[in-house]
Amino acid sequence: MHPQVILHSFGYLTQAAGMTLAVSLAGIALGFVIGAAVCIARLSRRAWLVRLGGVYVSVFRGVPLLVLLLFIYYFLAKFGVDVPALAAAIGGLALSSGAYQSEILRGAINATPPGQAESAVALGFSGVEIWRRILLPQALRISIPSLINEFILLLKASSLVSVVGIAELTRVSMNIASLTYRPLEAYVGGALFYLAINLGLAALGALAEQRLAGERA
Amino acid sequence: MIEIRGLDKSFGAHKVLRGVDLTVGRSEVVCLIGPSGSGKSTLLRCVNFLESYDAGEVRIAGKLIGYEDAPDGTRRPMGAWRLREMRREIGMVFQHFNLWPHMSALRNVAEPLRRVRGLSVSEADDRARAMLKRVGLSDKAAAYPSRLSGGQQQRVAIARALAMQPRLMLFDEPTSALDPELVGEVLEVMKSLASEGMTMLIVTHEMGFAAHVADRIAFIDDGRIVDEGRPRHVFHESAEPRVRQFLQTYHDRNSF
Amino acid sequence: MDFEVLWRYAPSLLSGFGVTVLCWGAGGALGVALGFLIALLNRLRLAPLRRLLRVFIEVFRGTPFLVQLFLLYAGGPYIGLRLSATTAGVIGLGLYSSAYFAEIFRGGFAAVPVGQIEAATSVGMKPFDVLWRVTLPAALIAALPPIVNMLIVLSKETVVLSIITVPELMYQMQTMAAETFTAFDAIFAMAVFYWLLVEGVSRLGRRLEARVTAFMAEEARPA
Repeated sequence: MHPQVILHSFGYLTQAAGMTLAVSLAGIALGFVIGAAVCIARLSRRAWLVRLGGVYVSVFRGVPLLVLLLFIYYFLAKFGVDVPALAAAIGGLALSSGAYQSEILRGAINATPPGQAESAVALGFSGVEIWRRILLPQALRISIPSLINEFILLLKASSLVSVVGIAELTRVSMNIASLTYRPLEAYVGGALFYLAINLGLAALGALAEQRLAGERA
Repeated sequence: MIEIRGLDKSFGAHKVLRGVDLTVGRSEVVCLIGPSGSGKSTLLRCVNFLESYDAGEVRIAGKLIGYEDAPDGTRRPMGAWRLREMRREIGMVFQHFNLWPHMSALRNVAEPLRRVRGLSVSEADDRARAMLKRVGLSDKAAAYPSRLSGGQQQRVAIARALAMQPRLMLFDEPTSALDPELVGEVLEVMKSLASEGMTMLIVTHEMGFAAHVADRIAFIDDGRIVDEGRPRHVFHESAEPRVRQFLQTYHDRNSF
Repeated sequence: MDFEVLWRYAPSLLSGFGVTVLCWGAGGALGVALGFLIALLNRLRLAPLRRLLRVFIEVFRGTPFLVQLFLLYAGGPYIGLRLSATTAGVIGLGLYSSAYFAEIFRGGFAAVPVGQIEAATSVGMKPFDVLWRVTLPAALIAALPPIVNMLIVLSKETVVLSIITVPELMYQMQTMAAETFTAFDAIFAMAVFYWLLVEGVSRLGRRLEARVTAFMAEEARPA
């Protein structure tokens, strides 16, 4: 066991960790927009929108992320987009996460007392305003612990974007392994970085839960 | 101000309102009383079309709400925009206050002014502060609902509805969810509104309030208005057995 | 999609599907068994043991599955563990899922109403009998829906095995795609196939969950 391998590649791993975080952040942010839209669709009064939303959730929770990533990659390559790798990576993560986030938000909105929306309706708010000002802010607060959990899951899932060539933690660990012929140390190094990021996020999650519980009192 | 004629409403197979007729004149205070499940709340909610109705009509200041009469004589559901416009003129206070927990008291009152009436932030805040003063909560403007007592929350809710300067106000059991000690402060505000000439339709169990503040009382049972008239008439001179029975249990419970 | 191509590769695709099911079944069984063992050991209240188990769970839940696979398959030989791709895949799935199953079982144990256990101990039942007759059955029933859920998640993770060359369905599909230049069609077919499979199993899972909750509700109703 040669731990100095990890020390020597510390710089590369840190850079790669940055890429992992960046890709994951982009994925979760875009995923949130998609998730909110799908959630609104599923709770709308138009039957076709409800069905469309339902199909979206079913498809993007049913198809494994790896398959989705490669599909988008080949899809974009086939139709001549220039940087299929990054687009496929973020797009795949976002589309997949969006399905899970929409379910989280939907649960949160269902947990919101109906009177909240009713008072807005009675005052004459338009549908859009009710969503923007009343329902979504409250749903967001309720779902923050679950959303942080989703971010942690997304971060781990991001390791799959290594297959489309993005230079994140897993890919860089693979590179280090093949350069130094020390796969054990290389992957332990990568694993340690993932653990570190996760510990940070878990602490953040605990903090958020505490603050939310306090406010509710 | 409010004209209800021949109102029918069913939830599935269950008929909740059967041919209800009721009028509320300008500046009148009308209280709806009756046993649970009689349809009082449903009737109230039909007035601002939070519940749709199946037959009959509800007119606000002469204008039909919820539906439009098409030129060929049939009735169509009213457009969303029109409905919202009508709702702006109707204030509603709910049993469970329905304040928005992620906004301060001031913001709760100011938000509809900003979003629905289109006032600027400073105008909305000014008017909101005036309203909070009106209900006696100036010092709680920055407080969040979770920090306010039930009575305070309900007063903020009244301020929120009042800030819109509605032509009439609907109250759906405004004090039923409050601890007995807090009921008084809310009734005081409602009394002062009545004395200023606000048109009010109130569903309530507070017989004392109804007796002293209402201009008229309507007793609903099983989806029908069984008796109505001035408080003296309903409470003491009603010939309807159902009314007497209802008031008897009330008297029994309260005359220890 | 050229059906002649599909027909030609049918045997390898079927074998791939067989490997997928095998890995999923064996990995899942290993994960459930190991997870259950961990949850039981956790109840022994031995602080050093609990710390060790906690580390195990945090490591396997805190790192990506792919990295764990690489460690096992590529890094294994350097600690004397020479595994075939499929074996590494099954063990990888087992270890990875055991951490999640351990937490699920822990939740199951926590969901047993304290009153039921108190009723058993106050009547004088031996601790072993309390565990065997009261705690375990209730815990397992409570844990069933999340277990089914996790097994569905695991079925999707099997595609990751293709990256370490386990000859499961995805791998066979990619081989076929490479040899016949039908990458896009192949991956599209994979997506549809997995979607239908997961949707179907999810529906069965939901039915099972409905049955279980109905059963639990019945338990609560007085005789």
